[in-house]
Amino acid sequence: MSEHLSPLDIERVGDGELDFHPHLSECLRCSNEVLAIVQMKRAIAALPRRMPPQRRRRDISWVAIAAAIATVAVLSIIYVRSRDAARELIDMHSTIVASAQPVDVISTDRHTVKPWFEGRVPFAVDVPDLSKTPFRVAGGRVVFWRGQPGAYLLVTKGAHRISVLAFSGDEVPRIAMIPQMTVVSWRRNGIAYFAIGDIPRGELETLRETFS
Amino acid sequence: MANGPTFEELATPLFGQLYDYAHWLTRDGNEAEDLVQETYLKAFRGFGSFSTGTNFRAWIYRILRNTFLTSRTGLRAAPQISIDDDPDEYEQMGPAVIDGRTPESLFLGRFTADALRRAIEELPLPFREVLLLSDVEAMSYKEIAETLSIPVGTVTSRLLRARRRVREALRGIR
Repeated sequence: MSEHLSPLDIERVGDGELDFHPHLSECLRCSNEVLAIVQMKRAIAALPRRMPPQRRRRDISWVAIAAAIATVAVLSIIYVRSRDAARELIDMHSTIVASAQPVDVISTDRHTVKPWFEGRVPFAVDVPDLSKTPFRVAGGRVVFWRGQPGAYLLVTKGAHRISVLAFSGDEVPRIAMIPQMTVVSWRRNGIAYFAIGDIPRGELETLRETFS
Repeated sequence: MANGPTFEELATPLFGQLYDYAHWLTRDGNEAEDLVQETYLKAFRGFGSFSTGTNFRAWIYRILRNTFLTSRTGLRAAPQISIDDDPDEYEQMGPAVIDGRTPESLFLGRFTADALRRAIEELPLPFREVLLLSDVEAMSYKEIAETLSIPVGTVTSRLLRARRRVREALRGIR
């Protein structure tokens, strides 16, 4: 009689991973062991399967997945729209600060700039007192964005030029983070403001705090 | 993925099997439902990375298993035992035969399905999962190895040890 099969080979034969071995036809011990594995496999396979309750089963599968899809889709739309809005405003900022005449009213005096907007935009424009800050007002102009007239203030801080845009209404979209430019947005008294510049966010936040 | 089967076509038929497997892992109906739900969501989100023509069943079982291992129950279960997976060790093992009869053939006919189920549930996770994938899910060694990310030799040795532990557990309650 040839040598007994190793336990691992017996396991492989029992699991059907190894072909029937000639030794098994002549060895009661090894064939019994293979049979034992087959018996155990059958006994385990015959155990009743646990099934989830039918109500929950329906809940779990496609309703949850559909909800996840909807959530991802809505978040994606919000993100794409806010990213597009940020890019549009940054493009407006870049175009204006690069132009030969960025503002229509040229003045560092807030009492000159503020009244200039009266009758040009449908809301009162807040031009803050920046005298105790490193910022200075350089002038203003009217801009149009997504069909709305808005007030544009050119603010400087040393050599940096910062755009502050103000629009009326509640339909102003959220603004996504754009790596190449700092954008800070806020809403006050029914006016949406956007400050855009190539300075650290903390400095733009300081400028934001000057608006009443 | 344009002309291949959809996620729903591939995943729907496996729902019952995945729930059953999750129940074996968690030993709790509610946790099993949560585990399957999370598995389906992860699989759906990651379906873009699944290569058509490869083994979807092994892929989604792997997601379920990895999700379980990072769950609170899974983290408790995983470190129960230190596994030595050296296949050479088992070549030295003696046979399971006692008095010319195998213990399984003696025990399995006498014990109820509940006793067998309890014996499997008491197995440490690494043994329980290979036994279930082999005997309940009827996976080949290759599929099990792919699902668990372990070598085929390790599958064999863990199965051997799992069966011996089940046998010993049944003997203990005889």
